[in-house]
Amino acid sequence: MHDNEKELSQEESLMIIQQMINTAKHEQKDDGKGWIAWGWMLFAASILTVINLRYKWFDIFFFWNMFGAVTLIVMVVELVKVFLMKRTTRVKTYTKTLFEKLNAGFFICIMFNIFAINLGVGPAKGFALLIGLYGFWILIYGTALDFKPSVIASFITWAFGFIALFQTKFEVVMLLHAGAVLVGYIIPGHIANREFKKLTGRKLNQSAGV
Amino acid sequence: MFKELDPILHSQLRLAVMSLLISVKEAEFTFIKEKTNSTAGNLSVQVQKLKESGYIEVNKQFKDNYPLTTCKVTPKGIEAFENYVKALQEYLQVGK
Repeated sequence: MHDNEKELSQEESLMIIQQMINTAKHEQKDDGKGWIAWGWMLFAASILTVINLRYKWFDIFFFWNMFGAVTLIVMVVELVKVFLMKRTTRVKTYTKTLFEKLNAGFFICIMFNIFAINLGVGPAKGFALLIGLYGFWILIYGTALDFKPSVIASFITWAFGFIALFQTKFEVVMLLHAGAVLVGYIIPGHIANREFKKLTGRKLNQSAGV
Repeated sequence: MFKELDPILHSQLRLAVMSLLISVKEAEFTFIKEKTNSTAGNLSVQVQKLKESGYIEVNKQFKDNYPLTTCKVTPKGIEAFENYVKALQEYLQVGK
């Protein structure tokens, strides 16, 4: 882009503004990979717990303990990347900053729930409350990114959570939990990823002049 | 009577820089250079002009022995940009 070579017309000014705002918008897009990984991990833990309840291979919470261990390892790796390797992003958007705080708050709330389950709330009710928490997080995410699939998914997730509240069998709660993460994280994650790939492909084609 | 278009903003590269920064919290110089398709020298000059006008804040630091420049739009810059867009809309409405 050159400067001061010619007088800008009003239409050209408007075009530049539009073009640059669209460029910045692309930075706000989420590739959905985080939702997909998180969603599949939760889904696997729920389904494996249901199978484990049937065949009694291990302790009831074996797969949830595994999930917790993997999550902790991932969190430690991320913290090391941020603090020790001083990984920085080239651009900071308002939504990225919001999500950083939101994710921290979300994990703290999850910890609250896990403690509550261990302090007597019980796993069936505890997981129902967790599903409610997922719905809240998904709604904020979808709204901030103006991503309709997540906004719709948040209400369906809450419906799963509400039904789970009335279940006494842990097996049924686990199936509802699996359904909630499938609708709340996995499906919107794959839609977001497909849209992100399309957008990135279009941008590459544009820059290559195709 | 039409408002005069802000001469600081009414330039291709400076307007692009401002439009980009208005949509984000802050951005590195290299990011702006890449997105505006400009040269480092030209961008440096225009960023300096925007800084002198008080429209952007420029923060220079070192990271792993390399200079790292980040830019951020100021409240004055936001106001100027809004006024520029309003003036532009007036021109375009009359032109229709």
